[in-house]
Amino acid sequence: MNRDLVFGTATLAVAASYYALTSTIPQSQLADPIGPQGLPKTYAIVLAVLSIVLIARSWRTANPEPSNPEPTNRETTNRGMVRVAGMLLIGIGYIAVLPYLGYLISVALLITATTYFQGGRVNGRTLAIALSGAALFWVLFIWLLRIQYPAGLWPSLI
Amino acid sequence: MAFAHLIPAAFGGVAWGILGGALPGISPSITMALLLPFTYGMDSTVAVVLLASTYVGAEYGGSIPAILIGTPGTNAAAATVIDGYQMKRQGKAGEALGISLYSGFVGGLFGLMVLVLLTERLSSVALAFTPPSYFALGILGLSVIASLAGDSLLKGLIAGVMGLMVATIGTDPVTGLNRFTFGSPELLAGIPPILVMVGLFAISEMLVQTTAPDWEKATHESARIRFPSPALWKRIARPQAIGSLIGAFEGMVPGAGGSISSFLAYNEARRWSKHSEEFGHGSPEGVAAPEAANNTVACTALVPMLSLGIPSSNSAAVLLGGFLMHELVPGPMLFVQHGEVVHGLYAGLLVANIAMLIIGYLIMGPCIWLVSRPKPYLMAFIYALVVSGVYAFQASLFNVGIALAFGVVGYALRFFAVPFLPMVLGVVLGFMVESNYRRALVLSNGDLTTFVRNPISAGLLVTALIVAAGSLIRHARSHARSR
Repeated sequence: MNRDLVFGTATLAVAASYYALTSTIPQSQLADPIGPQGLPKTYAIVLAVLSIVLIARSWRTANPEPSNPEPTNRETTNRGMVRVAGMLLIGIGYIAVLPYLGYLISVALLITATTYFQGGRVNGRTLAIALSGAALFWVLFIWLLRIQYPAGLWPSLI
Repeated sequence: MAFAHLIPAAFGGVAWGILGGALPGISPSITMALLLPFTYGMDSTVAVVLLASTYVGAEYGGSIPAILIGTPGTNAAAATVIDGYQMKRQGKAGEALGISLYSGFVGGLFGLMVLVLLTERLSSVALAFTPPSYFALGILGLSVIASLAGDSLLKGLIAGVMGLMVATIGTDPVTGLNRFTFGSPELLAGIPPILVMVGLFAISEMLVQTTAPDWEKATHESARIRFPSPALWKRIARPQAIGSLIGAFEGMVPGAGGSISSFLAYNEARRWSKHSEEFGHGSPEGVAAPEAANNTVACTALVPMLSLGIPSSNSAAVLLGGFLMHELVPGPMLFVQHGEVVHGLYAGLLVANIAMLIIGYLIMGPCIWLVSRPKPYLMAFIYALVVSGVYAFQASLFNVGIALAFGVVGYALRFFAVPFLPMVLGVVLGFMVESNYRRALVLSNGDLTTFVRNPISAGLLVTALIVAAGSLIRHARSHARSR
């Protein structure tokens, strides 16, 4: 399918949703002539117009491929997309488990899972590298930079 | 801030930059974006010196894999591959690395001189700036989108408008009402540009690397740096001068950046060379010219960024993010309110260029070790660094989620071949444009002519018009040629 057409349709949907959301901005007695809704509405209209032009142009274009198709040089097979989705899920998983497992274990899990999704193997060596890496990051962020990361459930178990 | 504090920052930044630049796929802007969250708690001068030094180091670092494995670590090092890799195949890798390092040093010093001479003069009109002028300055910044849009102006404009939309999230600058916050207290202050940059540059690149093939590995035997002999030093002086001059000009032109300047420098060096037949077959001049050019750009790209608040490249945009994070607003008032930061930056850049010579020599072994690590482990560590760094910025898991979301946006933009620098510009300049536009209208009782009656504002708007028109003409010509 024509990528420009897909992108134009998506941005048109963004413009429509954004315009609809501007109506949720409350009115104010202190508002200036433009008001808090003024520019957001203008942006939505401009984006909609640009999207329509892109959609129209994509219909007319003989060669539907984008002029600078960087990612098409790379593997964009289903397996590749699964890997990308996996990487995102790892990030989301990290956010979900960090408050419960604490920084050290969460980072070790993130390193292990990312290594797997980047094509590596999960074996003893990987686990050792993940734990060493987590310890290194713990020293950097918690010990040296004094960042307050969630300790997890561990303190309550002691 | 004592000068002594800047020395470790400059050395550290250069070392980090060289390591990041040496990794294929990790551009200078990504290397800087990875560091950005760590600078939050630092003294502002140390933070900007660290980031700017990273930029300097990364420009040299990109040439290491370009010479050793024929894969440029950064886009700007692509021209170095042509002759640098040929020299390596002829057993002259050490000489090529030495020429690259020395030429980068020469280019960096020249760029710094241009930066010091031009920046403050450009911003000498600082005190005369009023809301209409700031609005016009924002518009001038946004007009750059036309030249940053790459092959598709339309897609660049779409990305720019989406950036402006992101900038409207948070508290309204005039009435204080909440916009698009969905009741979330984390969104009241808006989305910090740093999260947008980490997502668009670093996380999206990591997602792309997930499906990219592994790169070739380097060997330790191939890389013992040899500095140029006096005869060679004389021979590469001209290409270095050509590279420095082209880099100085191109660095200040929005959208040009290191890649274009290094290829232009390569081409001009070949045209003016007495040994033009050697180009493409391992010419030392073919390494010197592009390396001098891209290191000059690392300094001169800061001229429009510091003086007018207009980032002319991805890396300058990330540095701008660093300034904003420390509540330093690049542009006219920077020299008036935070002159010590700017002068600290100049001093830091001088140290960084000297540090590049020393660290560039010492760090070769660790660089080769790093480039030769299995990619899955390398990517896993970078991912851990990104999520840990983003959390460290404001101790917020919400921010990690926002950065991941912008990573997805960045991946989608890459997939659809949409340039994402216009989006960054929209996010960075959106608040300034809107707040000053509305303030100017409030002060003038809604009179739109206030923007053309003010001479600075009128001048900036005319310049914006010329910049945009010039880019449109270039796009039209290139479109006509491609038909």
